[in-house]
Amino acid sequence: MAPSAYVWLLIAVAYFLIPLFATLLFSLRANATGKCCTSESYAWVIHNGDFWHTLKISLLLAVETIAISLAIFVPTIYWVHLKLPRLRPIIAFLALIPFVVPPIVMVVGLLDVYKGTPSWFYAQPWGFLVAAYVILAFPYMFFSLDAGFRSIDVHTLTEASQSLGAGWPTTLLRVILPNIRAAALAASFLTLAIVMGEFTIASLSAFQTFPLFLQYVNESQANPAAALTLLSFGLTWGAMLSLLLVGRRRGTRAAVITGAR
Amino acid sequence: MMSTFTKKYGIAITNDNPDGSSAQENQAIRSLKGDSRAPDAVDVGVSFAVAGTIEGLYQKYFVSTFSTIPRAMKDTRGYWWGDYWGAVSIGYNGNLIGNPPKTWKDLLKPEYKGKVAMNGSPLTSNSAVSGVIAASLANGGSTSNVGPGIDFFAQLKSSGNFIPVGTTPATVASGQTPISIDWDYNNLAYTKEFPAAKWGVNIPSDGVYGGYYAQAINATAPHPWAARLWQEFMFSDQGQIIFLKGFTHPARFNDLAKRKKLPASLLNALPAPALYAQAKFASIPQQTAAKAKIATDWPTKVGS
Amino acid sequence: MKSGRRRLSLAWVATIPFFAYTVLFLFLPAGSVLLGAFQGVHGGYTLSNIRVLFNHPYIDAYKTSIEVSVVTAIAGGLLGLAIAYAALREGTPKWVRSMITTFSGVAANFGGIPLAFAFIATLGSIGVVTQFLKNQLHIDLYGHGFAIWSKTGVEIVYLYFQLPLMILVIAPAIDGLRQEWREASSNLGASSWQFWRYIGLPVLMPSILGAVILLFGNAFAAYATAYSLTSGTVSLVPILIGAYYTGNVLDNPHLAQALAFGMFVVLALMMVAYIPLQRRAARWAK
Repeated sequence: MAPSAYVWLLIAVAYFLIPLFATLLFSLRANATGKCCTSESYAWVIHNGDFWHTLKISLLLAVETIAISLAIFVPTIYWVHLKLPRLRPIIAFLALIPFVVPPIVMVVGLLDVYKGTPSWFYAQPWGFLVAAYVILAFPYMFFSLDAGFRSIDVHTLTEASQSLGAGWPTTLLRVILPNIRAAALAASFLTLAIVMGEFTIASLSAFQTFPLFLQYVNESQANPAAALTLLSFGLTWGAMLSLLLVGRRRGTRAAVITGAR
Repeated sequence: MMSTFTKKYGIAITNDNPDGSSAQENQAIRSLKGDSRAPDAVDVGVSFAVAGTIEGLYQKYFVSTFSTIPRAMKDTRGYWWGDYWGAVSIGYNGNLIGNPPKTWKDLLKPEYKGKVAMNGSPLTSNSAVSGVIAASLANGGSTSNVGPGIDFFAQLKSSGNFIPVGTTPATVASGQTPISIDWDYNNLAYTKEFPAAKWGVNIPSDGVYGGYYAQAINATAPHPWAARLWQEFMFSDQGQIIFLKGFTHPARFNDLAKRKKLPASLLNALPAPALYAQAKFASIPQQTAAKAKIATDWPTKVGS
Repeated sequence: MKSGRRRLSLAWVATIPFFAYTVLFLFLPAGSVLLGAFQGVHGGYTLSNIRVLFNHPYIDAYKTSIEVSVVTAIAGGLLGLAIAYAALREGTPKWVRSMITTFSGVAANFGGIPLAFAFIATLGSIGVVTQFLKNQLHIDLYGHGFAIWSKTGVEIVYLYFQLPLMILVIAPAIDGLRQEWREASSNLGASSWQFWRYIGLPVLMPSILGAVILLFGNAFAAYATAYSLTSGTVSLVPILIGAYYTGNVLDNPHLAQALAFGMFVVLALMMVAYIPLQRRAARWAK
């Protein structure tokens, strides 16, 4: 490995890990004495019912957001690459908008516009919040999936599949999707991280999600807040790594196809 | 307070957004109208209570002990009631501060360089606004003139004493904010929560400013009767004494004191009553004016 | 001829779900906010909210926000590029790539109080690194005027989510930087610096510039981290918006919406710069 690569990676590791290490030191301090080392803060978090409750809600929201996003964006981007290439720059432009709209502005707009909608949508995080999260995930979804579609030959694959007698659904699900698996997985990771970290929208629409629990603990507790921060960071990272491993095990064949650039 | 209520009446309470700001609470009433998630009762700053009443966000109710709440702390038409009050205090970390500050003037001493923090920014935190008004009282200003308070903090910042880190339990426990200007009940709670920090609390004798928060019932509350029961409980003797346990002065403090219902142990946990007797309160118009002046002057004089 | 036209119109139909969704959940809410910027407190339409933006302290907030965003976008861009290249180039083991990309995914969304506290615990006045530097290397950061809650401090902390974002966005472009080019250039006797100057950077430049603009937008809209770090004393536009929408003190939603409108204008200008760059990047990506 090139020496310059070592240097830069070392700098990256130092910058990213030292603050987490400082948080770790703080999380191991005992409340009564202010000194190291005890796991009581971690025990507090793990024995806290709200921790598990909100974690479950946020993970479910993430899964739902990923599912709906893929269902909307994969066919659309596929279609654009296949038939409507001139639409691509327009969608790319649109993909930047949610990325730069401050969530605080977005949520007030959303609350205003959808105030009168039925409660199965408005009152449930599975409705209202997911709708907002799909928009938040849109830029990441678009850029990942777009890169994935650009790296495969959409026309050849589609024609081959159709000449063998497959209809559109079969083509999409059994031919196209496996070939963009890596891109779809990457998009899913990022969506998971977004949902696990999104605070403003959930807070102003009064839903109890994991980031809200995180914020509350940070404002009211000392050492457990640090423990919770590290646990949530670790959990999200772990979830992403496991998604990666799942994708890698089944997707090696697809990777070979796409890697032949 | 909530667990005692739940134990007594068997009604579960969902504490939605426990650290929410008053604006968020009023906004929740507006946005969640007709929804079962809407708050039944809210705890807001007084100016928001007044604004909320004008906007029609609350419903009338007279708790049974309404007459014993001081006139200045309630809406006579029954839309909101002050539940507790406190005074601005200076909390300090006993390990890191050898010579605790007792007055606003003390805070300017060079030995406190890089050590004085507030509970948030006066642009968003009511506690911080109150800190500025209190400082103003100590520097020639008044509840209607908050300019000297802003100048005081400008001076505190240029001398390097003031650090703009917002106080949180973590910064208190870690010693990152060795001195914190905050409501007395918050600082007093830290003394119990973080014994290792040896947290102490002083009410600055040269400027004592008090403030209170108000309770109101949502006009379109999904559970209005439960909300009323909650208010009854909060303003009963039992409820008010629970407030005292939380280091605050309950609204009916004087009434309870007259009837000798206040436990001595709880009274002793608070700083000297003589200081509290000096507490000045600002009227709603004064508070509004103070906030407006802070909004324009603070970013230029104290912000970077 | 006729059947060709029919097929084309059917093709558009397939994109309806997508456009319907973006209209419903992106344009309508954003539109209602933009409209609100022009409304007065007592109803009716007015430009007064917008006019107010040009006074202190609002214009200062825009200046500070833009400055912080530009600095972290460029610094994040360059450093992110270096780190991404180091992680993704040939010769680096594959697990490093997985680690860095997944970590970046999490770190890009790490912010608010936890991030602020992590840096206060590291570089605060009694932070781990501060004390190490003071005690072991006799460098007194705070004695020299440094503070983590200053504008510089905010920039250092912002890099924690800017760098990962850069890494994530530039990774596909770096993958496109074919190894053969590097080999060919070194075969012809070019040094590493010459490779970058004549091949690497020109090829990557459109993607880099596009990414930097994204980073600008990301920093510009960031709120929770700076607020927790500086309690609002570093005046940034999102913090002002938050103060007017959600704080305990001020309550003027239309002014907040006007501030948001100002942000839209700044960001729109940036995005307009992005389009020609994106077109050039597409040319190279094939």
